[in-house]
Amino acid sequence: MNDLRLLLEGTVILGTPLILAAIGGYFSERSGVINIALEGKMLIATITVWLVTIATGQPVIGVAAGIGASILFSMFHWLLTQRYSLDPIVSGMAINAIAFGAANFLDKRFTDPDQAGFPKLPLMAFWVFALVLPFLVWLYVRHTRGGLRLLAVGSDPEKARQMGVFPQRTRLMALIATGVLCGLAGALIVSNAGSYVDNMTAGRGFIALAALILGGWRPLPTLAACIAFGFFYQLQIQLQGTQVLGISAPRELWLCLPYIATLVALAGLLGRNRTPAGLGKP
Amino acid sequence: MKIWALLAIAVGLVYGALVVAGAAPADTAQSLIQGSLGSAKALEGTMKHFTPLLIAGVAVFFALRAGLFNIGVEGQFTVGAFVCAVVALRMPGWLGLIVGILAAAVAGALWAYPAGWIKAMRGGHEVISTIMLNNIAGQLSTAAVAGPFKDPNQQGTTTASIDPALMLPAIWQDPRISAALLVAVLFVIGIWRWLGRTVPGYELQAAGANPKAATLAGIDAPKVTIRAMAISGAIGGIAGALQVVAYEGRFFAGFSSGYGFDALGVALLAGSNPLILFPSAALFAILAKGSTTIQVMNGVPKGISFVILGLLIVIFAAIRYRKVPVKES
Repeated sequence: MNDLRLLLEGTVILGTPLILAAIGGYFSERSGVINIALEGKMLIATITVWLVTIATGQPVIGVAAGIGASILFSMFHWLLTQRYSLDPIVSGMAINAIAFGAANFLDKRFTDPDQAGFPKLPLMAFWVFALVLPFLVWLYVRHTRGGLRLLAVGSDPEKARQMGVFPQRTRLMALIATGVLCGLAGALIVSNAGSYVDNMTAGRGFIALAALILGGWRPLPTLAACIAFGFFYQLQIQLQGTQVLGISAPRELWLCLPYIATLVALAGLLGRNRTPAGLGKP
Repeated sequence: MKIWALLAIAVGLVYGALVVAGAAPADTAQSLIQGSLGSAKALEGTMKHFTPLLIAGVAVFFALRAGLFNIGVEGQFTVGAFVCAVVALRMPGWLGLIVGILAAAVAGALWAYPAGWIKAMRGGHEVISTIMLNNIAGQLSTAAVAGPFKDPNQQGTTTASIDPALMLPAIWQDPRISAALLVAVLFVIGIWRWLGRTVPGYELQAAGANPKAATLAGIDAPKVTIRAMAISGAIGGIAGALQVVAYEGRFFAGFSSGYGFDALGVALLAGSNPLILFPSAALFAILAKGSTTIQVMNGVPKGISFVILGLLIVIFAAIRYRKVPVKES
């Protein structure tokens, strides 16, 4: 019974940052902006939340600063891809590199090795928010003007323009939403860990992207994919050293599962290709 | 004009970061150069980065000409290095080296193949699939050297080491320059000639520039895409193999220190001219080697080199690789 409780708790702890980041990616990719920089945005948020919270002693200011940093990087992505028509992949790579380097730099320069503990955030509020968010987003894109415009821009920017929607403006809003959610995901990761280590997000931005693709760029299946990834990751931790079906698989095989599932989905073996039609179009 | 503004902002950012880190920018620049080019030993260290960056840069460059972003060089590099190390350890001697390098090429090509296939047949973005393949390569190779291929005599997750006498020989002593550099140079020249002077090279670039037009011109664009991805992967695999047989002598967990990603910067800087791969790989190698020195000597965290790398990618891409909006119909 205790194991089961641990499993559920671990699934929520590991799954919620993924949900926030994946839904963040949803906004960006649904508006037509390819975004491989979820990782970088989360990472820059983690270090900002960490340093500002410790400096001010106020977690609220820390989280706000983290979200701000993440929004800043997100808007940089918008500026490069939409204003200067830079390729979104190149821009995303660059943002990831800059965030990785900046986080390392700031951590090494400013983290006080013998500082007091990190204040806990109200985790329950984050969890509820993360679990409800996909449903809200689903209602938003289906039933509001803003949501339908988002889908229109992501499906065919040229036609949306002719219908009187400004794709660049819609995308800016979408990328700000991405920034906010990635910032929250980063805050959650730091708070869960309670301390900062270099490269804190450790590829979780890419797992979130994988969940988004596996979910076919739809909020509710994405939620399911995030929970599944969190569940398997926690299961892997709990099964370590024990045998499953007579063999003890190395943990790396478990860690590969999200990536393999995504490749299978990309290869079209799990139903039709659901890539937004206007993804990557200027 | 815009690019100059971007450049000014980038320089300002780095300068500001150095001041924040409490280091004198001029001193830091000096120790960066000193630490990467200042002595024979420093030069050897830079060479160790230059060779893989150059070959991996060729791999990315090649794919870019076919209109593909091969972010997967990181994974192909890892897989190639692992396969080569395993083969070379089982078959000591010259034959082992050659078979190891060839096996690495095959492994790299196989590791890139799914990405090419998904792109050509299913329209799935090659960047996403190669990111996934990179992570799988990293995890599986770690599992392999933690388990069946681990050297029992060592603590860390690593294979045994190849006898230094049986590694790729040097072509120059003091500073020691490995024959791997020669191979890298041959690769650049070979790709340059192949792209510019052969029919398949022309077809590849045509398919990369405009797949629709290429198809109308009678080129089998999906086939060219798959082939280009596989060849790029093979080159990436060879880059990893050479790193094993020329420098490291073994494979260990976390083998690639981000060469595949740096290679994207190398290739973007080169634009459409493969010969520019030489200076651009040199720039990245100096940055990679020098950043270690400035961390030790000036107390500037190594992360700053990644910030510089990211800014360079943005600037080069802004100059070289602007996506021109294409009107359909």
